[in-house]
Amino acid sequence: MQSVKTLAPVKSRREMKRQQQTKLWSGSSDSRLHPVLRTINGIFLILLSATMILPIWNSLVISLSGSLASMQPGLRFLPADFSLEGYRRVWTAMELWRPFLNNVIVTFAGTILHVLLCSMAGYTLIIQHFPFKKWLIGFLFVTMTVPSEAILIPLYIVNKELGLLNTLSALVLSGIVSGFSILLMASFFRSVPYEMQESARVDGAGDLRILFRLYLPLAASGIATVTLFEFVSRWNQFTPALMYISDSSKYTLQLALRSLIILSDATSGSEITTPNVRMAGVMIAMLPLLVIYPFVQRYFVQGLTAGAVKE
Amino acid sequence: MPRFRQHIGLYLMFVPVIVYFLIFLYFPLVRGFTISLQEFRMIGDRPFVGLEQYKAVLGDPFFWQALKNTLWIGAGQLAFGFAASLLAALSLGEVLNPLFKKFNQMVLYIPHLFSWVIVGGIWIVLLSPDGGMVNELLKLAGVEQPVHFLAEERYARWIMIGTSVWKEMGYTCIIYLAAMTLINPSLYEAARLDGAGRLKQLWYVTLPQLVPTMKTVFVLQLLGVLRMFDQLIVMRNPAIYREVDVLMTYVYEQGIQQFQMDIASAASFLIIAATLVLTLIFSRVSRYDLS
Repeated sequence: MQSVKTLAPVKSRREMKRQQQTKLWSGSSDSRLHPVLRTINGIFLILLSATMILPIWNSLVISLSGSLASMQPGLRFLPADFSLEGYRRVWTAMELWRPFLNNVIVTFAGTILHVLLCSMAGYTLIIQHFPFKKWLIGFLFVTMTVPSEAILIPLYIVNKELGLLNTLSALVLSGIVSGFSILLMASFFRSVPYEMQESARVDGAGDLRILFRLYLPLAASGIATVTLFEFVSRWNQFTPALMYISDSSKYTLQLALRSLIILSDATSGSEITTPNVRMAGVMIAMLPLLVIYPFVQRYFVQGLTAGAVKE
Repeated sequence: MPRFRQHIGLYLMFVPVIVYFLIFLYFPLVRGFTISLQEFRMIGDRPFVGLEQYKAVLGDPFFWQALKNTLWIGAGQLAFGFAASLLAALSLGEVLNPLFKKFNQMVLYIPHLFSWVIVGGIWIVLLSPDGGMVNELLKLAGVEQPVHFLAEERYARWIMIGTSVWKEMGYTCIIYLAAMTLINPSLYEAARLDGAGRLKQLWYVTLPQLVPTMKTVFVLQLLGVLRMFDQLIVMRNPAIYREVDVLMTYVYEQGIQQFQMDIASAASFLIIAATLVLTLIFSRVSRYDLS
């Protein structure tokens, strides 16, 4: 994370040098692509981005079309027979508001608790002269090597025996802490000078106070990264919901959408789910993510680089 | 002991983590292994049957079909995902206009934000034979009969590979881009002084410098391959079950839908074992050959 911040000046220095060099060493050797190649490269990227945008745009267009129009074939880049009927039907008649609300509850409760518990655990790992710290780190590392999918079945049994099946608590609890987040928190906290903590301790501050008043504000951008990652993965959480929830009043968005989009093909229900209704459901699930994404992209990149390049 | 008491507050802060992992990770792990050695019943005694359940799994042709599909789809996702994300990263690295670069980078990452339910749903509609965008485009290109992409076995695995590359390439691409900014600029200068053009610089400087990142990415994705689940649960349908059922959907089906927890647990432990073997093989190979 630190490295990314310091990169900008390095790059601009490189840019300056490059300009000087191109003056001196013009000819076959260049730090830029040949103009023709550069144009091809630009076109390639535009096409690539188009393959990402078009499917999403297509869904938006269908969701805003009228029921009949959305069933008719043909390439369309703007809604035909513009109508919000799809949204109205999926939200009220098919009661998507209920899974949406469940999703909001699970996502917020889960994210807040995750960040809180992981920051507390991460904090203990940076305390110097803390007995058994090595053991705790070892304990965490083992948890990170066991793939959670591989214990799908016994996890189901444990949840059943704890009476958690068909409760939202099961979904909040699932992944409430993770070794990855704890270690990430610890690495963010480590960038705060340790002397500050010692002087706070001399002034009589306890651990909780030091964590909440000193570390959380100073490591805010790191906290934001973990929070956003957790928010997105909670919003999208699917496997635990599929495993633990069968009562449709407890459905989360992903489960509701699955039965709306995918299973509705197979079931010959009393009414046909038209494409505009299905895509309206998809858009509703995507919207919160799309709205926050432009503002938080920086943190995503930060989190990725903290996770990947450091190793 | 006084030191311990002095830190009691700190231990309390770690307690939730220990409790969680004991209940939801270590215990299920032991429990799963025990079940895999038993004949499972929800109520009543559960006699130990040794390795019988493992034998049953290994004797099940559906398990082998699932393994074959996992390796087939996984290899495709690894290979094409690797090439696509690297190509995108190199291409983005050559863009001079920072705004254009940032925009493309942002757009490429978008599909990774969404769950497989959403991505699967979008592609099921796009690939639909009646009026899906892909078939409409094919019609423009002169294909007369709409293609039933998701109902034909010969396309099934390729669609799983393609949609996965579409969803994940932006994520991997950003990892490569971040690693590229850490390459020492003097390497490029040296190459330039030796008369290397930009393409040669990419080939002789950028690519070799990215090898450690490639290895990390490869290991992470390799471990993910055996665990792929969401995508297949969402995108499969009865017409293509045979081609796209993977190990985890096999476990899910056996354990949750047919309630054969013992068979499912044995299969899970075979997957864990396979993961360990793959990791070991890769760490051996990469140490001797690549670095």
